[in-house]
Order: sequence, then structure tokens, then C-alpha cells
Amino acid sequence: MPIYLYLDRATALHRLHPGVKILALFTIFWSIYWLDQPLALAPIGAILLLAAQYSGSWSNFYRLRWLLLLIMFFTAAVWVIFYRQGSPLLMLGPFPISRASLEFGFGRAFKLAELIAATILFLSTTRVEEFAYGLTWMGMPHRIGFAVTLAFRLAPLFIDSALDVVAAQKLRGHDFSRGGPIARMRGYAPVMVPVFMGALRKANNMAMALEARGFGHTNRPTSLVEYRFRPADWLGVLALSALGAGSFLAYLLGYGAINVGE
Amino acid sequence: MPSVKFDGASSAPDAAPAVLLNRVRFTYRGVDSRALDAITLAQRAGEAVAIVGPSAAGKSTLAKCLNRIIPDFENGSLEGTVEIGGRKLWDWRVCDVAPLVGMVFQDFESQLFASNAASEVAFAMEQRGLERAEMEPRVRAALQAVGLAGFEGRDPATLSGGEKQRLAIAAVMVLRPRVIVLDEPTTDLDPQGRAELFALIDDLRAQGLTLVIIEHDLEALRGCDRIILLRAGEIVADAAPVDLMTQVGLLERCGVRPADLDRLCERLGISPHARNLAQAEAAIRDKFGAPAADHRSCPTGLQVSGAITSSSAKAPGAKGAAGDPTDAAPQGSDGAAGPPLVEVRELSYAYQRGRPALESVSLAIREREFVAIVGPNGSGKSTLAKHIAGLARCAKGEVTLLGRDRAGYAPAESARVVGFVFQNPDHQIFAATVEDEVAFGPRNFGLPKDEVARRVESVLRAVGLEALRGKDPFLLGKGERQRLAVAAALALKPRLLLLDEPTTGLDYLEQRRMMDLLAGLNRDGAAIAIITHTPWLVAAYARRVVMMREGRKIFDGAVREFFARQQLLADSSFRLPEVTALGLRLGLVALSVDELAELIEGRG
Repeated sequence: MPIYLYLDRATALHRLHPGVKILALFTIFWSIYWLDQPLALAPIGAILLLAAQYSGSWSNFYRLRWLLLLIMFFTAAVWVIFYRQGSPLLMLGPFPISRASLEFGFGRAFKLAELIAATILFLSTTRVEEFAYGLTWMGMPHRIGFAVTLAFRLAPLFIDSALDVVAAQKLRGHDFSRGGPIARMRGYAPVMVPVFMGALRKANNMAMALEARGFGHTNRPTSLVEYRFRPADWLGVLALSALGAGSFLAYLLGYGAINVGE
Repeated sequence: MPSVKFDGASSAPDAAPAVLLNRVRFTYRGVDSRALDAITLAQRAGEAVAIVGPSAAGKSTLAKCLNRIIPDFENGSLEGTVEIGGRKLWDWRVCDVAPLVGMVFQDFESQLFASNAASEVAFAMEQRGLERAEMEPRVRAALQAVGLAGFEGRDPATLSGGEKQRLAIAAVMVLRPRVIVLDEPTTDLDPQGRAELFALIDDLRAQGLTLVIIEHDLEALRGCDRIILLRAGEIVADAAPVDLMTQVGLLERCGVRPADLDRLCERLGISPHARNLAQAEAAIRDKFGAPAADHRSCPTGLQVSGAITSSSAKAPGAKGAAGDPTDAAPQGSDGAAGPPLVEVRELSYAYQRGRPALESVSLAIREREFVAIVGPNGSGKSTLAKHIAGLARCAKGEVTLLGRDRAGYAPAESARVVGFVFQNPDHQIFAATVEDEVAFGPRNFGLPKDEVARRVESVLRAVGLEALRGKDPFLLGKGERQRLAVAAALALKPRLLLLDEPTTGLDYLEQRRMMDLLAGLNRDGAAIAIITHTPWLVAAYARRVVMMREGRKIFDGAVREFFARQQLLADSSFRLPEVTALGLRLGLVALSVDELAELIEGRG
């Protein structure tokens, strides 16, 4: 099974300049940040759904469906219960539920889901090499840009290794849910120590392999793939600017905020 | 694999040696003894030099000195000079040495980091600032040279182990380095991957590349120009393969497994030693007489032509090795008794949206059996083991322990039936001391203190780690850590010990020690099942073989019968041990050098 999320497709989204893709990710984060209202977040959600359909990324959403659903469910549940603004519509046990708490809870859930969806889309359409190139293109030093992308390369390996460690300790009778909070924290040592030591070893091996293949020789590496800034990229920048500006304007005008006055 | 000359890879021999080490010494920080002690050697351009030796002999340390990983990545004191193509590497950075020395590491997961093969190969050129127009043809040529033409767009994560290592070689040779260093590149490969890699190495040699190959398997190194034998940081011997490989006693004293043919020739007094199976066969027939052209029945009941004698085969001579299997019953090997400890019935399993990892696999393992589970990577061996160990839920089919559904077992209960040892011992080690590591399982299962102490004492003695009980496990060698993992499983007193490639990354002595330990446990009553890629271990220790391919069980029977199935083995790229292959040419099914020698001498 592939350990990365990138899906090799020939769509316009895949062909966008890496700098524009990074800008798109940033702009979507920016736009989501200013909006709390579920309805105000809906257009961004619609854009992301269309982009997922167009880029053929549904398989990655399917792979991560439980993560998405769990985060949405628990976020919505917690905020609906604990957000104490607005007039109560009904009581859920001791907790008053208002229209504002419903809007806020579902707004938070949508926000998080959209942040994750934007990241999945970005990783589905962007190779790690493009990501590194884009960061360097935007002015980040090559070493730092590469290190950022390295985290994405290593994460799946660490997750695989962590799953093996958990399995190994379970076979030895380790119960992660035993005892109080401190005992439970201690109980993670049999997992954290091997994972951490393995991560250090792997990171060291990878650093050696990278340098042995010339990484660090220059701060301005070339690229096998040519990334041209095409008219479609300018169009993308314009659209993203409009989205970013529009959401900020909506915020300034109060359209994206939760109305607690009812 | 096509034999494609990689344009420019073969540099014309210079007057200066391709590699020159002059009195190189290296001591790791915090360690008293030297890892390398006054190593002096010269290697001509175009020469292929193999470095062999036991663990901690200094092989990898030597390799790392060639491209400045030592001292840049390893703390310690380095003395002496290293020259590549006449250039002293005093103040060079590792990244600057890349066009001179390319290095392929053992762990292919850590050396591939691009999202497709073309980018992986281009990486080194991008770091040198080469223009795209120059990179494209070189990427194509490098991939073609390693037999991966057409793989440009493939995600390296989806390649097989052998393909990954070949890609790693393409990724270093694309810079056309003067020297390519391969540091135990076959350790993590299955037989198919090993065969692919050695074919590539032969091809690179034929192209005149200068190669330094660190490898444990002497049989694969006959084609090299020289073999250097290292021990405790010193060069013990530096000779042509034909001269070094015949020094069977020296190799054994240095912890290197001599090739089967050389051991057999030594044992039978054949001189000079045969260099290949045909020579060995001719020399044996010449010395011991031509066999009758009739057929004889080998112990499995198979017909093997051209037998030299008619005696029945005996048990392999290796210490703790298997005796004769009860060949008539595939499930039965000598000593195997009683109802199954583990029974797998019609088990099928598929990873998410993937090809089935297991298809209708049925299997039973009984008390006192010693089973080897073999097959290429991805054939379903580990998935099968995970089901037996309780790490995967049966999607279709059934796994029972002692006749009861495995799903109904509590962890403490199942641990007394099946113990599982992962391939990488570092996936479980965390405690501050060896004895705490062993005690972890029994404590988790709530055993009383004195019982825990008794078990720790007993298993540490069994695995030979009693003297290291207070030591930090992270400071142990790989072989010791592997034995510690076995001890941790043994502490729960399982009736079946299941081990996933327990000898990977171990040198010959450590492999023998590990396998002798398992054979001893087996003699004491435990059933043993190992997943392995190492043919000689199967021949020397197992009594029954289960072979998997593409999720199906394609063979389940006695080890002797397994090695007689030449077509099956060839189809699965499972290389016969040299001694077994030679025996079959002579019409005998022999599992060890001693056994074949006795049969040939007519004493079997």
C-alpha cells in the first residue's frame, strides 16, 4: 500500500505551480480562520469538495474518513455542549443548547474538517519534491524547506513503526488503559521509547543517505521537473486573492460571526 | 536484467589507485578499542573488492571512511589518510564527496525519499546544480543500467526490496562516481531481491566500475577480484577469492561462513577446490567413481537420477540440526506429536482495497515441530504469522489455539500458547536493564514476584545473557538484542515460539548462536516456527517447510522433500544451498556438508 497521499493524476490542479499550491493552502487556512458560521464556511467546503472531485482525490478522503468523521463528531459534540452563549432552545441534561451553541459547534467541526480536507487535497496533488521546490521558490532557505517536507516523508514510516511497537507490547500483556492518569502516562513508555529510538536511528540513517548523495552541496539546487508559472497559475493567484480578501471582508462586515443576540 | 553499459560510469583507470587508505585508525568516542586499526589498502580502478568479517570487525566503519561519513556523522578520533582517485579527503564534506564515492546502505527505507523513481535518481544531480537537459538522459541511462527502465513514474514505496536497492544504486551511480560502496545491500532482501542485486553487481563489474562490497555471503563473492577479511578492526587476509575461500579454518575462526563447496572439498580432500558446481561434480565423480545410471529413491520417496551411492541420508551435521523428518506426513516431523497447538483453517485476508494477502491458507503446527515458513516478500508469511500471534483478526477462515477459537483467548492465556518475536528487536526494547526487559511480560500478566524472578533467571540463562542482566539493552549488539527479544517471549512460557526473520542482520556466528538456541528450545519441547529467507538455515535446522507465494500455501512438507523440488524452488527464486544443489546433481538429497560428504564416502 502506498505510504504517501500523493495521487499521480494529470489534472489542472496537479499541474499548478508548487508556489500557487502552497499559496492555495495558506489562503484556505486564512479564509477559514476568519469565519465561524457554518453557512459562511459552506462556500469553502463546496470549493474543497469540487476540488476533491476534480483532482480525483476521493480515495485519500476515504482512507482518512474515520479521522475526519471522529474529529467532526467530537468537536461538534463538545462545543455544542460547552458553548454557553445565546438563549437556550432545549436542555440536554444539565447543558443548555442554544442556536448559537449549535452554530458554533458545527462551525468548529466544519472548520477543522475543512483544514484537514485542504491538507489532504494539497498532499494528494503535490509531490514532496514540489513542496520543497515551492517553499524554496517562496524564499525559504533550501535546507529548511527540505526539512519541512522531510517530516511528511518520514511520518508514514514512523506511524508504521509505532503500530509494530504497540503490537509487540500488547503481546507482552501491556495494557495502555490501566491505572490513573500518571500510571497511564507511564504506560506509554514501552511504546514511546522504542518509537523515539527508532525515529532517531532512521533520521540519522536518512541524514547520512541524503548527504552521501550530495544534499547540502548547494543552496540553490536545480530541478528535474520544470515548474513554469503559466496563465492558469496567475488565474489561480487571482482567485485565491479574491477568496482571501472576501473572507476577510466577510469577517469585517460581521457575516462570518456567530450571532449570540437572538 | 538487460546488460546495459551506463554511459560514463566506467572511468578510465588512473595512475593513482581508485581507493587508497594509509594507516587509517578510528576509535568511536567512549569506546576503548579501535574500530579500525592501521588499515592500509589500495584498490585499482575497475576492481571489485569484497569486505567480509564478523560483526564489529570494522566493515561498515571502513566503508564510512571512504565518503567522510566518518568523521562527519560519527564522533571519534580518525587518523591516517583516505585518498579517492589520488585526492586526499581531508577537509571534504560528505556532500562534496558524492561525485567521487557513491554509497548504498543496508536500509533501503531510509535512503529513498522521493515520490517517484526519476526524482529519486535525479536528486543527486539536482544537488550538484546540473541542468535539466543533462539530467534527463542520465536518469534514463541510470534506470536502464539497473534494469528499471520504464519505472520513472513509479513510487519507490511500491517497489519490491530488490527493486528498491537497484533504484538506490541508480541514484548513486548517476553522478558517475569513481567508486561505489555497497554496505550489506542484501541484508533485508528476499532470495529474489538478492538474485536481482547480485546480477546487477555482476553487470556493474563487467562495466568496469570500481566496487567495494560488504557482504556476509561468500558464495556470492566468487566473482570479485579480491576479498578482504577483517577482524577486530584489522585486515587478517587480503587475497583473491580462490585463495581466501579455500582457507576454511581461517574463515571459521574469524566468524565467517565458508562456502559449502569449499567446506566439502576440504572435507573430501579435493584439491584444488572446485569453483562451481560443475567442477565439484566432476571432481567428486573422478575421485569417488562414476555413479550407476539407475534411479534411486531419496528419503522423500522422490526419484533422483544419477545417484552415487545408495545409502539413506542422515540428519544434518549442524549442531542442534534436525534429524530425519518423518517424511511421509507433511504435517509430521520427528518429535511432532499430539493435537495441533495452532490450526489455521481456510484463512483469507486482504489489506484495505489490496490484493488478497492470504487466500484459503490451512496449516497446523504441533508440539515439538520445527517449521520454516519461506517465500518471497509479500507472499503472506508475516500476515499469516500475525494471525497466529493474534495481531490480526480473521476476516474469513479460522485460527484455533489448542482447538479453541483464537478470538476467545485472553492475552495472558494466548501468550502461554504462542510467543511472537518481531523481526526488529528494537520494536519492543524500552527498559533500563536486560532483566527488566525480560520481566516486563510476566509482570504485566500479574505473576508473583518470586515467579517473575525465577523465570527471568531461567530464560536469561537459556539465551546466554545472564552475565548482562544489569546492562542497558540499548548498549547490546544486534545479536544480543535479538536474543533478548526471544528471552522476553520465552518468559511467558509459550508452547510455540514464532519468529519473524530472527537472523536478519546477524553475522554467521550470531546466526548460528540464535538458531542453536532455538534448536535447543525445540529439543526441550517447544515448537518453533521461523519466517526466513536463508536457505542454509532451513536446511540445517528446520524439519518442515511451509512455502508461501502470492498469499497461497504452495508447499507444506518435510525439508528434504522441499529441497528436492527444484522446479518449485526455481519458480519461487529460492536458491538452493550449494551443498544441496550439488547433492541433487549427484542424485542425492543432502542438507549439510557433513551429510553429503558421508554419503559420497559411502558411510551414510
